[in-house]
Amino acid sequence: MKRNPIWTAVNGIGLLLLIFIFAMPFVWMISTSFKTLGETMTFPPKWIPNQLLWENFSRAWNSGPFLKYLLNSTIVSVGILVLQFATIIPAAYAFARYRFKGSNFFFGVTMVTLMIPTQLIFLPVYLQMSSWGLLDTLWALILPFASSAFGIFLLRQSFKQVPEELLEAARLDQASEWKIIMKIMVPMAKPVLITFGMFSFIAHWNDYFWPLVMTTTDASRTLPLGISKLREVDGGVAWNILMAGNLILVIPILFIFFFAQRQIIRAFVYTGVK
Amino acid sequence: MTLANPNEMINHKRERSTFSALNWVAIRPYMMIFPSIIVFTLFFLYPIGYMIYLSFYDWNFISPDKDYVGLSNFTALLQDPKFQQVLRNTFVYSFATVSLTISISLLLALWLNKKGAMYGFVQGAIFSPHIISLVSISMLWMWIMDTDYGLLNWFLNLFGIASIPWLTDPKTSLLSLIIVAVWKGIGYYTLIFIAGLQSIPKDIYEAAALDDTSKVRTFFKLTLPMLSPTLFFLTIIGLIGSFQVFETISIMTKGGPINSTNTIVYYIYENGFRFFKIGYASTAGVILLFVVGIFTFLYFKLLSRKVHYQS
Amino acid sequence: MAEIRLVNIVKKFDEDTVVNNLNLTIEDGSFTVIVGPSGCGKSTTLRMIAGLETPTSGEIWIGDDCVTNVEPGKRNIAMVFQNYALYPTMTVRKNIEFGLVNKKVPKAERESLIREISEIVGLTDHLDKKPHQLSGGQRQRVALARAMVKKPKVFILDEPLSNLDAKLRGQMRRELIQLHKRLGTTFVYVTHDQVEAMSMGDQIILLDKGVTQQMDSPMNMYHDPNNVFTAEFIGTPPMNILERGHLNTVLPTLFENVKYVGFKPEHAEIIGETEERRTDHVVLQSEILTTETLGAETIYTVSNVAGMMNVKSFDNPITESNNVQIAIPYEKLYFFDEQKERIRFLEIDRAVSQPKPAIVGGV
Repeated sequence: MKRNPIWTAVNGIGLLLLIFIFAMPFVWMISTSFKTLGETMTFPPKWIPNQLLWENFSRAWNSGPFLKYLLNSTIVSVGILVLQFATIIPAAYAFARYRFKGSNFFFGVTMVTLMIPTQLIFLPVYLQMSSWGLLDTLWALILPFASSAFGIFLLRQSFKQVPEELLEAARLDQASEWKIIMKIMVPMAKPVLITFGMFSFIAHWNDYFWPLVMTTTDASRTLPLGISKLREVDGGVAWNILMAGNLILVIPILFIFFFAQRQIIRAFVYTGVK
Repeated sequence: MTLANPNEMINHKRERSTFSALNWVAIRPYMMIFPSIIVFTLFFLYPIGYMIYLSFYDWNFISPDKDYVGLSNFTALLQDPKFQQVLRNTFVYSFATVSLTISISLLLALWLNKKGAMYGFVQGAIFSPHIISLVSISMLWMWIMDTDYGLLNWFLNLFGIASIPWLTDPKTSLLSLIIVAVWKGIGYYTLIFIAGLQSIPKDIYEAAALDDTSKVRTFFKLTLPMLSPTLFFLTIIGLIGSFQVFETISIMTKGGPINSTNTIVYYIYENGFRFFKIGYASTAGVILLFVVGIFTFLYFKLLSRKVHYQS
Repeated sequence: MAEIRLVNIVKKFDEDTVVNNLNLTIEDGSFTVIVGPSGCGKSTTLRMIAGLETPTSGEIWIGDDCVTNVEPGKRNIAMVFQNYALYPTMTVRKNIEFGLVNKKVPKAERESLIREISEIVGLTDHLDKKPHQLSGGQRQRVALARAMVKKPKVFILDEPLSNLDAKLRGQMRRELIQLHKRLGTTFVYVTHDQVEAMSMGDQIILLDKGVTQQMDSPMNMYHDPNNVFTAEFIGTPPMNILERGHLNTVLPTLFENVKYVGFKPEHAEIIGETEERRTDHVVLQSEILTTETLGAETIYTVSNVAGMMNVKSFDNPITESNNVQIAIPYEKLYFFDEQKERIRFLEIDRAVSQPKPAIVGGV
């Protein structure tokens, strides 16, 4: 219907403008990260630096114990993911497939938890962690997220859709409940598990708030916190170093996004709609 | 005989000859949910109760004594002009962010809901900020919004507009944060709207076309009502999320200048961790809990009615 | 020995009694079909034999073992489900192998079993495919192979053909009969389709509302129904059941207990409207309502004083007139009492001539 060439041109320009609005900041980030400090302070700004100053990255990296941060980030994100899988799979199976006294109550507890944002409860949890002596340890970053109400909710939906006959067939095949979960339920819920896994990993990899509240030393800080501390390095703001540091944080995620864009988008949109 | 028969569930707990086996089958579901329930209780439910408890006390975290002060934390807080401003900031920020994000992304969704590599690429591009750490987004935009060397002012200069001290002027600081939030949120909202649009059955559009319905009328009479659950979901989720804004404030403005961007969560953080006014901070937390609770309740209330309509 | 015995089986779902005091014996090596309308309790009975349901009371015996409380996996039973219940994430090979792995059968033995079975059911080329890549008939074969590979004492099949199209259903029916002959194992087959029951079973158990109506061979089921329910369930079209009261003008006085009279559609003959009255026949002046021509045979729906009924004829369809007479020989009549139970050994006394022949009867 819209064969009109003017329309097509306007549409194309519009799309380009849109890409510009969303890609420009990242281009700007990359550009800045290669500049000298002097080049960042020119006006009008320069898009392309005279030379690529790779050392900005090493300066950013060496301005703090970044290897430690990276390690902490990895332990926390992966640890949370592993624990979550270990806790949500049995719980979702129990809620989806067993009838037991109090199942509605406990599922209600789960749903209430789903509604409670971490930003609401950080203060009492902080006090609790402090009384347990867990402040400024990775445990304080991992344990509160060792299970996920959201994950249980998603997975329960998925488990409920598995036809009863399949489980009966497995029982006739002498499969234990454990085997039914691992060999039949989990493979069938794989898309949902992958979706949830990406969602959880990205959320905790990027998380700034919880580590900010729970940690006080570099021993337990994570990458986003380390990056945010970059600012305080030289007193003044060295935008080139700052952007280089942020690029280190952003690149892995953008890289994954580039290859798994479809799955990631589906993960977020799916979990958003459901 | 049907699969849906709930009694079949009971029969899965197969009776066994020995007493201990019977017991195991009965406790199995509890064992399976136990770890999760423990986590939820320790780190979500108990803290809520503890926070409510603390809101009735005056405590500085260091001293061993907590003084019971009744409701005086609440009265003091609500009379505190600073907290009033914090509340005002939070609501202005939330409603502006959500209404802007929703209206822009609805338009974008209508525009970008097309097949083709180009549209796929654009959808991916506008979504990308959603998966980037808020730390990087905040720092990037601080740089872009820099008064002297920032990109944004350079663009404004190109169009003959004078530089604006985005983050350092109380008049524009909150607006700056809203711009960042909208920029970050648009892609996510657009894609959810597109998913919503795609779930509308094609045949109702064909029916409308056969009835010679105009495009505008089709949008307001068919598309919008069909999208209303999505619209509603995004509004509530967006508001609840915005009430808790913290990262951008913590990194970009620290609540300033002169308190112009201080919102509830940042206020709780400041009082708890900088001023050690635990009771005061908890009270603000209870107020936020109350606000979030109202919106959550509203969501479920209207959602159940919506479901009721459809069935 | 794998004779299956159900002793005083009762199954209640809450207050609903689905199976009521059922007693039956399924002979070793038989092909037993449990048939009945939906909701008759046939699937529940089957599931109790399999161990997927536990009876409210009563006992289930397989051979010499009481299995009432034995887990399904330990009963040495294999089941083919209506929707096949193939594990969708596993290949055909893994589907067949799953039960063997659970039974800890060594790998080499597993492989030779899979090879053997997949050859029998013709799946050798499809072993590495996933169920969604297969056609309905192939999925059916996988389900069979999965059951067969366990070499069970009893095969249980729950409406296994209902998801196939008519042509394939016929083919699978024949294959299942051959399979049963070949394996010699007890087959318990549930269906709501009496054609399947008649064509496959060597023993048929007809259930209604959780109660056995008749347990018999197919031919006895057809020729010698115990009651109106059986008579109306078996046959295409089934027996016509007429109320005795409507036949007063055309039938001699009958033994008092007779409340219903039945005849099979194929035993009635259609004769011209004007043709002479036949002796020893019930003759009904009728109007043809519909004619279904099936090629070899024609099924008429006719209306007369006794109501609507079906007549099956192997002659060419009648086109001339809608008004005909139908004649049913006395010896082809079936009689039933008020409880709709069959009255056997009742004969019409031919010596007494028309118009009011007497009936002598005995039960």
